[in-house]
Formats: sequence, structure tokens, C-alpha cells
Amino acid sequence: MSAAELPLTLVDPIALPAAPVLHVQGLVKSFDKREVLRGVDWSVPAGRVIGLLGRNGAGKTTLLRCLLGLSPIDGGQVQLLGAPMTEPGGERMHRIGFVPQTFDLFPWMKVRAYLDFTAAFYARWDHALAARLLQGWELDPKQKIGQLSQGQRQKLAIVRAIAPQPDLLVLDEPVASLDPQARRAFMTELLELMRHPGKTVIFSTHITADLERAGADIALLRDGRIQFMRPLAELRERFVRAVLTRAEGWAEAPAMAGALKATVAGSELQMLLEDADPAVLRALAEQAGAELRVETPTLEDLFVELA
Amino acid sequence: MRAVWQLWLQLWTRLPVLAVLAMLMCLTGLVLALIAMLDARVAYVGMGFVAFASWFWHIGLGQVLRGVCRPESFLLPGFRARLAWLGVADVAQWVLLPGVLLVLAGPPHGALIVAGLVVVAALGLALGCGRRVSLAIWAVFIAAGWMPRLASQVVTVALASPWTAPLLMLCAALLIRYALAPLLRIQDADTPTSPLENASIGRNSQSALDDAQARRGAWNRWLGELFDRAAQYALERSLQAYRRRPSAAGRLALVRRLLLPHDNPQALALRLVLVAGMVVIYFLAVMHRQHFDAAVVGAYAVLLTMARFPQLGRGMLRMRPNLADLYLTLAPATRGEYQKIMVDALMLLVPVSVLTALAYTLLGSVLAHAAEPARMLITAAIVATSASLVALAVHLIGPEGSFGRGAVNLVLIFGAMGAYWGGYWMLGAFGLAWGALALGTVTISFGGGVWYAAQREYQRRAPRFDAPLG
Repeated sequence: MSAAELPLTLVDPIALPAAPVLHVQGLVKSFDKREVLRGVDWSVPAGRVIGLLGRNGAGKTTLLRCLLGLSPIDGGQVQLLGAPMTEPGGERMHRIGFVPQTFDLFPWMKVRAYLDFTAAFYARWDHALAARLLQGWELDPKQKIGQLSQGQRQKLAIVRAIAPQPDLLVLDEPVASLDPQARRAFMTELLELMRHPGKTVIFSTHITADLERAGADIALLRDGRIQFMRPLAELRERFVRAVLTRAEGWAEAPAMAGALKATVAGSELQMLLEDADPAVLRALAEQAGAELRVETPTLEDLFVELA
Repeated sequence: MRAVWQLWLQLWTRLPVLAVLAMLMCLTGLVLALIAMLDARVAYVGMGFVAFASWFWHIGLGQVLRGVCRPESFLLPGFRARLAWLGVADVAQWVLLPGVLLVLAGPPHGALIVAGLVVVAALGLALGCGRRVSLAIWAVFIAAGWMPRLASQVVTVALASPWTAPLLMLCAALLIRYALAPLLRIQDADTPTSPLENASIGRNSQSALDDAQARRGAWNRWLGELFDRAAQYALERSLQAYRRRPSAAGRLALVRRLLLPHDNPQALALRLVLVAGMVVIYFLAVMHRQHFDAAVVGAYAVLLTMARFPQLGRGMLRMRPNLADLYLTLAPATRGEYQKIMVDALMLLVPVSVLTALAYTLLGSVLAHAAEPARMLITAAIVATSASLVALAVHLIGPEGSFGRGAVNLVLIFGAMGAYWGGYWMLGAFGLAWGALALGTVTISFGGGVWYAAQREYQRRAPRFDAPLG
């Protein structure tokens, strides 16, 4: 595909820092006396799609807002695009796009006026892309933002975030209110954006299928910390679900190295295992007189088990 | 510059009427300043126009900035720098241009007038940003009222002193910093308060433009906690009572606790104490005037009471989506039954308003050593009753648009003021008993009639749960 055919206008290459796009150390954030983030350490390399997973209330939105300086932090350090993020400012703002979880800003503005207002601040604003997305997503430029549905507002927020051609795109549950067509269109845009070298996307979502489609690295936020960040393929490689079946059922799950979780359901024993040795599994099945079935868990299965 | 232009345009798109009027007034002032080159005395009139225009313009600008300065806006590249440039353009428009014309006209005290223009702009901006600096202006009036001779001497010296203009500029700079610093600080959003909360005490200082909440300081947060605790206590008591003996009255009390969380006895008492503080300041300010009329106390008490109802109108609109949940919880047999519950619940506002007006009037009459406190109290009680009924009625079924509501509020306030003064005269002319009877017959029957018709109409209408359009 030539540059002219790309949905995004290619821009002058920007010297990306050798350092990670994002580096967080010991980030602490509390609301009143409730500690939401308890010393987050996290490093995000450039050119990756990162899926931030966590249960409701885990602190995903808080973490993303702290990263961008939209919420004051109580401790730790955040380095974004090579500089400390004490408050949003500086030239790097031209390189950041953000889609908030709920877009409730400027309800009095019309869609066109809002985009004109925003575009005026950016050095690189892809008017053609914005116009194409508005048309494709059937957003009426003359309509007031307050009159848009939640899904339409989310579309507008995505247009606003992508049009400045950001190097770092932070998306907080961007597809939660989108219909399947719009979700698919959004994912297509996202994947197109990622074709450009050095583009990084961090997005929190509960729709794990989107992360699988994007081949994202998965970061899990739990208990106020990032528990791990691994490529999806590695997760798939390292985690297996072993299903042991025998007629007499299971009084308790046998001890096994790497077992993260075990569930007994009638004659079936399901175990989620990390770095399981197939030989050990087979030996266990033989010893217990059970039939062994090894499955690759989906990301959703992993999320349910681990989050 | 495109971004600065876009920022400048915000006032024109948000408050076009205000922007046009302020600009016309400013142009008039500038033309007068031009004419003043022939006659220097006209320059003062011209600058008066410019100052008025600047005051209104900057109140609007402050409100617009409250809406624009959200944390997400700071992700816009160079947002602060663009705001600073907007400030430069604003100074050029409202201070430098009139200042140059003034210098050309050459009247005395030119520097002072320019400094005054800066202070006026700063005050307007601070007020628009939701900062209660108007209290600081009162302090000046209080001091002047206490010691008029000294005040006059101070003014004479100040007019002659070369330090006055720089001091005024310093005051303006402090005011601007005081107004803008919270807007430029990124902080976590306050927990939203009930849309029906009473806004007259600063508990819920929202911009009428877009419901953007003013950033609350430590004092307001503490106050908020007190009100919330009182609301929680009242809700728990109502719940206990309902659990002990479920009844329609108990259910209505619960609905009231939900819709009007801060209209419980404890919160009312707290509000009265707070307002009493403000009233004391006010009386200190006005009672030293030479022609102070204590009867005005009742009029102001009614005015303060009526300030509650515009918030009710706006709040009912914003509450609509939440009311769907209430509808499902109440599970009424008919839509009319639900509407009746709403009407009955909101009816609480009438006695609350009357009690509030009486308390304010009583306090004011004591402070001002009113000659006829009974006459004031009776008039305030009757007028507050009828005005509350009418206000509640028009906000239930009245216009939804901000312009229509604004017009209705104006009519209500002027009507209530007229009724108070008319009633006060009647009680004086016919005696307390006959005057009260006549006033009550006219106003309460009018208020009751309007209320009766409005609540019938409200019950006839289908409940609406759609979110108001922005």
C-alpha cells in the first residue's frame, strides 16, 4: 500500500526516544483514604499495543489519567515520552491522543466547532482523516455534542484522539458504547495507525477479543499493581488449562507445580497452569486414573482466572 | 493564533447576547472617549460605559473559562500558553485601547481610571470563575458606611497619590491569580452533588452555563461533608421509620430525602446559620447608610428565599434520567400517581421557603432594630408563601429553555418584590389584621390558584426521563 492509500497522512518521522514511551515507578494514588494504586511499576516500549486489563474498580481509569497528568498522584514517578509527567504540557502533547471513558465535555459545542477548536491547537491535524471518519461514522458536524448518544460521543472522542496523528494513543474503554460495526471500524483504524513505525497504543478494555485481534501485549492491573505484562502469544504459550476427567470425581485438587487455580465440577477437574510440564501432567493423569485434556485458554478465560 | 482565536470565540458562541451587548456598550464608551478629545468631561462617561461592559464581559468570560478549563483540556498542546495570549488580547481590548483614547482625551486621573478598568475586569473575571470576591467589595462598603468622613478623606488622598494606580494594579493581579489558579490546577473532580441542592449558600456553586462545578476549597468541602452527614442521618431516620411502619407518608418522606437531600431539619438549621453570617455582614454594610429603611430586610429575605427555585428548575431537568430509576422503584399504578408523588414531595419546599424567609426577616429586623418587626414578618410570611407556590408551579410546568426560565425567574422576583412592598404598605395602611387578611386573600389565593392549576397540569402530563439536550 502506498502512502497515498493509507488512511493516515504520513508525517515527518519523529526521533523516538530510546527510552520506553512510558515508565512508571512506585505510582501511588488514593481517593480520600482509599488507596487505588499501590506502587505501580510499569514500563511500556514504543511501537506496541498494550491491553490494560483489570476488573471493575481495579483502577484502570485512574492509572491512565495519572499517566497523562489528568489526576494528581500521591507518590512515585511517571515518565512519558522521555520526560517526567508532573503535569500535561510541552511539545509532547502534540504526540499524545486520549479517549476518555466517558466523553462529557463541551456539550454546548457542535461537532464541527469542537473539532475546529481542537484542531487549532495541533501542529499535525489530519483534516482529511477527521472528515472521512465523521462521514464514515455518520456523525453530523452540525449536531451539538450534548445531543449525541454515548456511542456517538465515543466515536467523536476517537476521531479527536486519532486526527492529531499521535505517537502515543491512550484509550480508556474506547469501544464500550460502540455498536459492532463501529467497533470493527475503530479496530481497523487502530491497526492502520499501528502500521506506522513507533506508534504506541495503551488501551483498557473488557472486550478481550479486540486485544487478541490487535495482538496486544497484556498488562494486568490487580490489587493496585501491574501484576504482569506479557505478549499475548507468550501468555498463550505459557498458560494451559488441563482438564482431568474421571468417573468417581475429585475430593480435592492434587498439588501441582505451576497450578494457579483449580476448579472441580462433577467428574472434571480443571486446572490453570503456568509453564506446565506435559510429562508431569500425563504422569498425574495416569496416577489418578483420569483422562487428560489440555486446552489453550482464551484471553477471556485467562482474565477470568487471573484478574 | 488560531487557537487563541478559537478561545476568544467561545464567549461569543456561549453567551452571544452578553457578548454583543458588552461590545456595543464598550463601543459606545470608546466613541464617547473619542468625542472627549473635544470635551474631556465626556471621557469619564465613556469610561463608565467601558467599565460596565468590561464587568459583564469578564463575568461571562469567567463562566466560559470554568467550562473550558477541564483536566482534559490541558492535553491540548500549549493550552496554558494560548490562555495567556488570550489574556494579552483581552488586556489590549479592554484596557490598552480605552487607555490610549483616554490619554489622547487627556482628562485628569487617567492612570487611575486605567487601573480601575483593570480592577473591574479582574473582579468580573473572579466572579465569573465562581470566586466569591463580591464579599470583599462589601468590606469596602462596610468600612465606608462606618466611617464616611474617613472614607471621603481616603478617596481624596487616593486620587492625589501616585501610589493608588499601582496599588489597584496589584489588587487586580492578586484577584486574577485568585480567580484563575484553581482553574489552572489539575485536580480530581469533586463528587457530583444533587442537582436539586440549594445553591444559594455556595454549597453547590455551579455555572449556570453548563453545570460545570466550581472548584471547592477546603471550607466548602468541609461544609459539604456537614450537609452530606445531615442528609445521611435524615435518610437513615426516614428509613427506620418506614421499616417500623410502612405507609404512604413514610414513602413520601423517603422520596423527599432522595430528591431534596438537604432539606432536612439539621441541614436547614445549618443553612440558616450560614446565611445568618452573610446577613450580618450585609446589615453591617447597609445599616450605616443615611437613608436606610429597615423594611427592606423583608424584601431581601423574600429575594434570598426565591433564589432557591431557579436551581430547582434546572435540577429537575438534570434529574430526569435518574428519575426513571425512582419511577421503577416506586412502581406506581399509573403515571399520574407517580406525578402526584413528585408534586407532593416537592411541596415541602413551600414551608421550607416560608420558614427560611421568616428566619431571615426576624434576624434582619433584630439587627436593624426595625420599628415594626411584626409588620415585616407577617408581610414576608404571606408573600413568601404565595411566591413559593407560584415559583414551584412555574418550575414544574414552565419553559425548559434557559432564556424562558431566565425570563420567568425575573418576573417571579420582581413580582415577589412588588408583592412585598405592596403588602407592607397595606399592612401599614389598614392595620396588621385587616392588611394581612387583604394581602393574604389576594396573594395566597393567587398563589394557591396557580399552584393548583400547575400541579393538575403536571399530573396530567406523562413523566419524562430523557436527558436534557446540551
